[in-house]
Amino acid sequence: MASVSPGLCSENTLSTAQKAKEDGDTESTSSSFSSSDYNYDLEPEWLDDIQKNGELFYLELSEGEEEAALARVAASQCLSTNHVRFSEKEAEVITEQAGTQRRGSRRKGEPALKKLARILGRKRRPSQRKGGKDGSRGKATPSPPASILKTQPGQQQGVAVQQRRRLKEACVYLNPKRLASSPTPLCERGGLLEALLGVVHRPAWTGGQTDRGAVRQDGRLTVHGLIPNSPAIKCGQILIGDVLLAVDDVDVSPENIERVLSCIPGPTQVKLTLETAAPVDSAAPSDSSPAQKMKASPPVSQLVRLLWGEDTAELQMAIGHIPHIVMYLSLKLDSSSLQEEEEILYQYPVSEASSQLKGVRGIFLTLCDMLENVTGGHIISSSLLLGKHLVHVGYWKEHNNLLVVGLPAERVPLLSLQTVVGDVVRTLKVMYGSLTSAFCKPDHAPRLDHFFCLFFQQLIQPWRLREGAPPPPPDVSGSLFLDGLPAVRWLTLPPEIKMEVDTVLSDFESSDFGEMSEDFFGLRRLYVILGSCLFYKSYLIANHLPKEDLLDVCLYCQHFCLLPLASEQRVGQLVIWREVFPQQRASGGPAPGFSQPQGRHFLLIVGLRHFMQCVLLEAGGCASPALGSPGPDCVYVDQVKATLLQLNTLEAAMEERLNVPSTPCLSCADWFLPATTTRDRLDSLASSSPVLSKLAGAIRGSPSGHRGRSLFGEKSRRSSPQRSLSDSGSEGPMDAGSGLPAAPGLSPHSTSDSGRRIGGRRDSLGSDGSGGSGGLFKMPRMKHPNPFYLGTLKKTLTDRETEEMYNTTKLTSGTENTLFHYVLMETVQGIFIAPTHREVAQLSGSIHPQLICNFHHCCLSIRAAFQQSLPARGCRAADRSQRSGWGLGPVKEHGVLFQCKPENWTDQKKPAPTMTYWVIGRMLLEPVPQEFYVCFHDSVPEVPVEMAFRLSFGLGL
Amino acid sequence: MMLRDGSTQLLCLTASSGVPLFTRGASKQLPFSVIGSLNGVHMFGGGQGALLSSCETEGGGKVVWKVFHDSVMLIAVSGGGSSGACIGEEERRLQRLLENVWSCMVLVLGQDELVNLRNIERLKRDLRSCFCLIDKLLEEKHQGVLGDLTHCADSLVPPNPTPLQEAVDGFAQAADSEFGCLFVHGRIVVATEKWWRLAPQEVVLLCALVRTLSASGSASCDYPVFLPQGSPTVAHRLLRFQLLPGADVCVLCGPTPSLQKAETELVGRFWSPLIETLRSCLAVGERCLPGSVPLRPDVLALLLINRETRRSVSCVQLSSHHPLSDSSLSKSRCWELLKLFYIFSISRYFTQEETLSGSPEESTQSSHTEDFLHGFSHQPQQCYLVTEECKSYGLQTQQHQFFLLVLPSVPTFALRTVATQTLADIISATAF
Repeated sequence: MASVSPGLCSENTLSTAQKAKEDGDTESTSSSFSSSDYNYDLEPEWLDDIQKNGELFYLELSEGEEEAALARVAASQCLSTNHVRFSEKEAEVITEQAGTQRRGSRRKGEPALKKLARILGRKRRPSQRKGGKDGSRGKATPSPPASILKTQPGQQQGVAVQQRRRLKEACVYLNPKRLASSPTPLCERGGLLEALLGVVHRPAWTGGQTDRGAVRQDGRLTVHGLIPNSPAIKCGQILIGDVLLAVDDVDVSPENIERVLSCIPGPTQVKLTLETAAPVDSAAPSDSSPAQKMKASPPVSQLVRLLWGEDTAELQMAIGHIPHIVMYLSLKLDSSSLQEEEEILYQYPVSEASSQLKGVRGIFLTLCDMLENVTGGHIISSSLLLGKHLVHVGYWKEHNNLLVVGLPAERVPLLSLQTVVGDVVRTLKVMYGSLTSAFCKPDHAPRLDHFFCLFFQQLIQPWRLREGAPPPPPDVSGSLFLDGLPAVRWLTLPPEIKMEVDTVLSDFESSDFGEMSEDFFGLRRLYVILGSCLFYKSYLIANHLPKEDLLDVCLYCQHFCLLPLASEQRVGQLVIWREVFPQQRASGGPAPGFSQPQGRHFLLIVGLRHFMQCVLLEAGGCASPALGSPGPDCVYVDQVKATLLQLNTLEAAMEERLNVPSTPCLSCADWFLPATTTRDRLDSLASSSPVLSKLAGAIRGSPSGHRGRSLFGEKSRRSSPQRSLSDSGSEGPMDAGSGLPAAPGLSPHSTSDSGRRIGGRRDSLGSDGSGGSGGLFKMPRMKHPNPFYLGTLKKTLTDRETEEMYNTTKLTSGTENTLFHYVLMETVQGIFIAPTHREVAQLSGSIHPQLICNFHHCCLSIRAAFQQSLPARGCRAADRSQRSGWGLGPVKEHGVLFQCKPENWTDQKKPAPTMTYWVIGRMLLEPVPQEFYVCFHDSVPEVPVEMAFRLSFGLGL
Repeated sequence: MMLRDGSTQLLCLTASSGVPLFTRGASKQLPFSVIGSLNGVHMFGGGQGALLSSCETEGGGKVVWKVFHDSVMLIAVSGGGSSGACIGEEERRLQRLLENVWSCMVLVLGQDELVNLRNIERLKRDLRSCFCLIDKLLEEKHQGVLGDLTHCADSLVPPNPTPLQEAVDGFAQAADSEFGCLFVHGRIVVATEKWWRLAPQEVVLLCALVRTLSASGSASCDYPVFLPQGSPTVAHRLLRFQLLPGADVCVLCGPTPSLQKAETELVGRFWSPLIETLRSCLAVGERCLPGSVPLRPDVLALLLINRETRRSVSCVQLSSHHPLSDSSLSKSRCWELLKLFYIFSISRYFTQEETLSGSPEESTQSSHTEDFLHGFSHQPQQCYLVTEECKSYGLQTQQHQFFLLVLPSVPTFALRTVATQTLADIISATAF
């Protein structure tokens, strides 16, 4: 056991079959991971989720996530009530011991490898998520389940001896489909009661519990335990000790419960009637019941539940009052058909507000038909006022059908409506080939419902999908802007890591799978790997796909929120397989002389932890043609998994890269808003000392727009080396980063980057060349680096150190770092670079998040100006030949100056301090088409072109 | 395609019955089926609680609907193409146009006749008298006047305003009026204090009316006007006298004095001593700013709005003597660019003072269209745009809005300095 990593210990869901497999695995050490060999006799867990048409969407969270979520639930429940129902921690310890006894003797191999093996062959199905834990626990010990044992004392303390029995009703949502694939042996003890409802009932247990014998009668369905994450525990009303009397008004007993539950055909809400022990103490129920309902929060984020296909109804209800709709209407009227509303081929959602929009579909049809004749162009949008809501309606006409998407104006401004509609159309085309094939097949309807549910949720209430109770100020325009860019967020890696990643990917793409390859068996290969791309925590880190294919893949991932999923939660396993219709390949390709092979294409996405790899496969062409609707091929899935596992070793390096601030350093907006108190103090001090007066002058001067080139002004000018970007990009931050998170006291030379950044506004003064001050400036709340240290420190700095200090990259010119935020888009490769989420989070502050929101909102406008001026650019909505008028003419550069004031300025005597900053967008066509958006403080006039070049050279694109 | 690129058609119907009252526009009239459908979709939507406000097609075509006082429906259809601006801009322009057209109709006919549609045939006939005014509004190429967009009175800053101000004040007083105004080249030079208290939209419309009247060539006229905001139901008399070709003076007055009396007795008395001053005003011409205000040679066009007095000064300066300018930019293109840049900035970044127009439901409706502006968490102050033809800079202060077009040869980083400097120069020289 000592050799087993902690992560392994907590694993308690191994089935016996898997344990046997582990033994076999310990010997397999080949790098190409022939671990898939047992997949022939042992089915992968996702196999049962494959749908009839071969598609697969299998998502499983890692144990870490599930347990964290459970602990949260357990903790909240323990706190809120004295009815302790479930104590995960205690139970965990016990099962762990049990597991150790069981497994200890067998465990010999290297832990790392075994860990890999387990991930490879984890034998858990989504449906087992509910029953699995308790099931294994039950098997491990002949005695009653540990968790229930543990809760007994709590129960006795909480409930007074004299109990009145009382009836109550609880509504739970059950979904039998999720355990459709569940094997019977697991449920043999608890049956459906355990697997479906999550209620543990042990009929044989009565004898052992003498103290409670009086309460319980034979032949009753007493709740002995609740299974974590089950419907029963989620509803928060079923307590241990309750007696289940009826399900949907059907009386139940231990004899008939299985039959009753098995009659539930599909996902539905059922009413349970329970007899409960009402505590005598009147205080107890009042504080327990309402609070409990509140705190029994969904353990997994709404997003995951949505992806699993659970309770979309609740989320949809929340936005029911906001008018939004998608309709696919037919422009062809077939009078012979008698069907009602026959012109509506598809519609979602069905709510009151949307039915109003549905009611006026005649407007959309008429306008679409008429305006083409009047103005000579398809209709693209119209605006309606529904009550108080302004709704923008986007149109997309294809053949004789019309797609209509209505969205509330407060979420999607008119400027970005076309992009949003264009993107959703392209996603549908990638998934189904054409809009007609997407909407006109009746069996697609439930899947389209799910598709559009996700679409609207992301646009209208994105915060509901994220975890964390308080909704942060929604950066709606941020996601609109970044998702609307025809590009994927890119993370630059140090060259050696990048090379390694590329090598691993190339190895995979060569399809040389050793004995697993078709060559080995002398068969024609099933698929040709066209290319793949790799994401780490929502950042693209390697791409071997052509740009348009990358965009197709990325649109799919974006739509299903796969990227944020991988960054926020560790994905246990994600396997997605489906046929796709890459747009460029479908439309014939760019080169006239060359015709694409007529093949079918399949998209395979495999995610493990924070990594996600998307592979585009081609059947037909030079591989064997695909017949019917083939499901995922185990060999390919396993090879991708193996690739990801191989890459797992680089996770530490990636994390390090993410922890290190990227090459152009950022400033936080809050540093530029001086607190008046600081200013006053500086003023008073400045009068006494000449050195300090200079410093104070610089500090006072800079926010108001003067160029604060103070003590080191000349030197920094000379030595700020804009050209050495790539060097410092790779090595400078790396060594700084290694010492960064753990040790605040740094060696003098490893320039604390965070120190420089956080205190870095004044880096002109040479504060952080020495480690001591680096630690000092790490306090993130600090508005200004303490200027008093600088006076003495600067004397101790040698010239060389000062030189080194400037050897880090600064994008802005002048002595101060005034850059707040940036986005650089490379149109050719289809990628964009922006500061990482973590970097932004580190620059906390009250103004800064606002500033970023504002930046994104402004970028929407800037980009719209660019778009309008360049008619036929290869953007996502390129299908429409934009016959844009001359208007303002081609816009090359556009900037807006903003002014911000701190919120809640209470001081009546003084006016609030203000800070002004620029948001500038620049479009470059030479040498490579780029779009560059930047946000910086007003004090330094910048030439955006210069910044763009500096940035793109520095990032080594 | 029924609509020529860049042309705008204006349709006017009765809101309740859908009877077409008139259509105006440069291109051929739209077929009646189209007019009927355009009206029909809006009417149908209104019945279902979905009020259609605008619609856009590829290539910048745009349709905007608006109903005034539940009686008159105005629809503007623009063909996109050459005048097509960015998404929000064209809509903004058309909405302004509809408001102005409605005000025009009120100005000429009075609100009563328009709201209580008793005799549609008579109304049709009466509406003909607004056509020349409406056509002026529809006319794209009328240069140098931005008031219908900005709702700020186009002004001309005279070199020597004091005697003119005194003359206007005296003239108005003698004509039993508090509202007097002197126009040169269709722009206001001086006006009485009360004149400036009129709603900005009314001032702009009166300017437009005086321009059309003076274009008719008559030396004087007496024209009944309703003030859309001040007195939409009671008519006043607008007396206009031509002082010199291009220079007009007008007063708004009650039943007295008669046109003849005012023309013979008052005009000569107050204005003949000032002929030379008026000539110097005429000499200022389209520059609108006296020669004492220095303008950099690389300035192409500018628009300065005083947000408090609701006056604006605009000019296009095409001097041929600077070597760097290739003569690709015509004067009309400069005006067009200035207009487009103004609408661009206003619809995205700067606030436009809402005129207290008409009914409350109109103002709520217009506030809905400014959704993009409300998305900013911080206040936009300045903006610039670099295009192939020119560089544009806009800035907004407490008191002014300033829009400047300069040659592309001016470096981008210097734009801000040029703009602020020019603004400071103008303000210090003219106290505008």
